[in-house]
Amino acid sequence: MALSREDVQGIADYARIALTDEELDEMTAYMNEAVDLLEPIRQYDLDGVDPTFHPIGDLSNVMGEDIIDDSVRALPIDVALKNAGSTRDRYFRVPSILGTDEDEGGIA
Amino acid sequence: MANIDQLSAARIAAGVATGEFSATEVAKASLDAIEVRDEKVQAFLQVSSDLALAAAAETDRRRAAGEKLGPLAGVPVAFKDNMHLVGTRTTCASKMLENYESTFTATCVQRMLDAGATPMGKANMDEFAFGSSTESSAFHRTNNPWDTERVPGGSSGGSAAAVAAGEVTISLGSDTGGSIRQPASLCGVVGMKPTYGAVSRYGVVAFGSSLDQVGPFGRSVEDVALAMNALTAAGRDPYDSTSQPCAVDFLEHLEDSVEGMRVGVVPALMEAAGLTAEVRTAVEGAAKALENAGAELVEVDLPNIKSAIAAYYVIAPCEAFSNLARFDGVRYGYQEEGCLSLAEQTSKSRAHGFGEEAKRRQMLGAYLLSSGVYDKYYYPAQQVRTLITQDYKRAYEQCDVILMPASPRTAFKFGEMSDPTQMYASDMFTISNNIAGNGGISVPLGLGAESHLPVSVQLQGPAFSDRKLLRFARAVEKSFSARGAVAPEFAGKGGEL
Repeated sequence: MALSREDVQGIADYARIALTDEELDEMTAYMNEAVDLLEPIRQYDLDGVDPTFHPIGDLSNVMGEDIIDDSVRALPIDVALKNAGSTRDRYFRVPSILGTDEDEGGIA
Repeated sequence: MANIDQLSAARIAAGVATGEFSATEVAKASLDAIEVRDEKVQAFLQVSSDLALAAAAETDRRRAAGEKLGPLAGVPVAFKDNMHLVGTRTTCASKMLENYESTFTATCVQRMLDAGATPMGKANMDEFAFGSSTESSAFHRTNNPWDTERVPGGSSGGSAAAVAAGEVTISLGSDTGGSIRQPASLCGVVGMKPTYGAVSRYGVVAFGSSLDQVGPFGRSVEDVALAMNALTAAGRDPYDSTSQPCAVDFLEHLEDSVEGMRVGVVPALMEAAGLTAEVRTAVEGAAKALENAGAELVEVDLPNIKSAIAAYYVIAPCEAFSNLARFDGVRYGYQEEGCLSLAEQTSKSRAHGFGEEAKRRQMLGAYLLSSGVYDKYYYPAQQVRTLITQDYKRAYEQCDVILMPASPRTAFKFGEMSDPTQMYASDMFTISNNIAGNGGISVPLGLGAESHLPVSVQLQGPAFSDRKLLRFARAVEKSFSARGAVAPEFAGKGGEL
């Protein structure tokens, strides 16, 4: 089942990566080649095999005292904001989250 | 008295401790070597001269005040540019983070500094660690010090090249599928990917969170062991919930014999398509050397390793897509100007901030995690991961370590691997170890018979047997008397101490 150009456009929309027409062609070719590479995964009979989502099987939660250690972990606001492209006062600044009439806008 | 590139980490720390030379003199020698050599090697994205001289001055002050010095006192160290260090930018070699200033320091970096190391700068890499040649860096290529027309490997190519050119003594890299061991192999230095959980990932920009592991490069096994001590001695990092306590003295038993111990060899891997004759011959030579040192060679089988690349290229892109979703152009990173909606700003910031391979991996991950596809690939890949892990467990019932190549071939030319999926095969011998979470190390074996470029052997071991791995690595090093040499074109150029 090959991925079509339209399929790849849909994935790009979902991944929030705006691709040009030319990039979309290249990406479609790549995606199909890459998915072919994954074929060995589908050749297995995996009935009864548990998945391993993480290499440390017997992980336990790391618990700590509920104390805020400002000196170590909390970023001062000016530090937290210094790498942002656009800020106002104590906040990150973004364009309209509801979008304009022409696009679907919003946060999906 | 000597060139900085001829001194081991232990020798530098001892010289600083006894006052034979100062940490400041060492830092200046390293800066001089970088100045002279890196114009051609281009291992660094930033050289942190001010931080280096300040750290060295502090080491010298401590000595003058009679305070205790760390085991890496004055040792010049480079960090891969996905590791946060306050006072530097952390770019991941991406336009996305071109101007990102570190707001905190990674635990692995801090522990090296706590041991007295001098931070020389940030090393080039494949963008967000996606690659095996460092060619996907958004800023510039890094040249292999052994042949500057060839790649240094990747993704930690800058870290490997800086050590191979003798610009620094030790560097740190990260390894998600082979990104320490493969560039170490191509640059003729020792590179170790410790067991998953052995070294904290806190402050290292995440790629594949269940696969990523930080580890050191050095020109000798001893230097790598010293770095492992620095990285692990303070125990578990409370800021990385997957970090495990594994503080042992990695120098202890380093010189012990491997007599009576068992080395596994996987016949199918030695016949693998793509493995060049010169690498195979060298790896067989390393097996013979361990046998001569008294170890017993045993054949073991890892039947499911043949599916490791497929499993990896499901798991890693999915984790990468999840991790890189944070780059939305709002809180940090490249932000597209003039957008009317947040959705447009996000899509264009990501489109123009990320390079091609970073987009490819995220697109693949987005697809594989989508409804209906998840059950076909993602879940089965995690089941295959179980089979690969079980293969290793069975094999390690019969042997202490497994010996195999690290890279199927020596360094290739720029542009030679133009097809992305062809590049993925560069990690054919390293990737399964990340899937299982075990440790592995690449040890240089001198130059290949045909290419006259560095070749290496990889040793893999069970989880948390990293000290034993170093002992075998040292045994190989001893029998080859192949203490990683500085690439001849750069040895002795600048860097007089």
